[in-house]
Amino acid sequence: MAKTELSRKTKTEIKASSSLKGTLASVFLLGFFLIITWVGVYLLFISRF
Amino acid sequence: MHMHKFEKAWLIFGIGSLLVFLTVLGVSAFYLGNQPPSCLATIDPEKVDTTVPFNEPGLKKVEGKDWDYELVYVASAFSYSPAEVEVPYGAKVKIIATTKDVVHGFEVAGSNINMMLEPGYISEHVTTFDKTGEYLIVCNEYCGVGHHMMSSKIKVVE
Repeated sequence: MAKTELSRKTKTEIKASSSLKGTLASVFLLGFFLIITWVGVYLLFISRF
Repeated sequence: MHMHKFEKAWLIFGIGSLLVFLTVLGVSAFYLGNQPPSCLATIDPEKVDTTVPFNEPGLKKVEGKDWDYELVYVASAFSYSPAEVEVPYGAKVKIIATTKDVVHGFEVAGSNINMMLEPGYISEHVTTFDKTGEYLIVCNEYCGVGHHMMSSKIKVVE
């Protein structure tokens, strides 16, 4: 007779330490883009009367 | 609490930029005194023509103030009074404007002067005209059938 699946415990393997360098780089690229555009608009505001 | 070091770096960067932006905003508002063009000054829109300074629109020299000239504008459908004005180069001018009827815009094209004129409110902007040339003033709030014809001119001359 087949066993029910209810009582059986399965273990999922978790891969430790996948690299997040790419995430960091892309998120900083976005951050610097926002800052550069903000500063650009602000300088335009300052330079006009 | 465990936090990845990259995540920490990003949070510090984000919160740091937020603080820098807010500081710039605070210095602009509380130290440089920048404020919205319409800032609590009111007028009876029915009596604009008889209320000082709007009874005499145009450029006037003033003494003992932070600015050298006052430039008074009255907007109405579909024109500005005065229609053309000459401002001396380098003059520090306070523009004071209001409307007699509906909401109008007041934009000096290519400059930071861009105000909304609302009936019952006085809009003000202080600036130094440090570039010579002709500047077009346009209405940028739809005010009726003649909206696109509504304009005025500032000439900055040496």
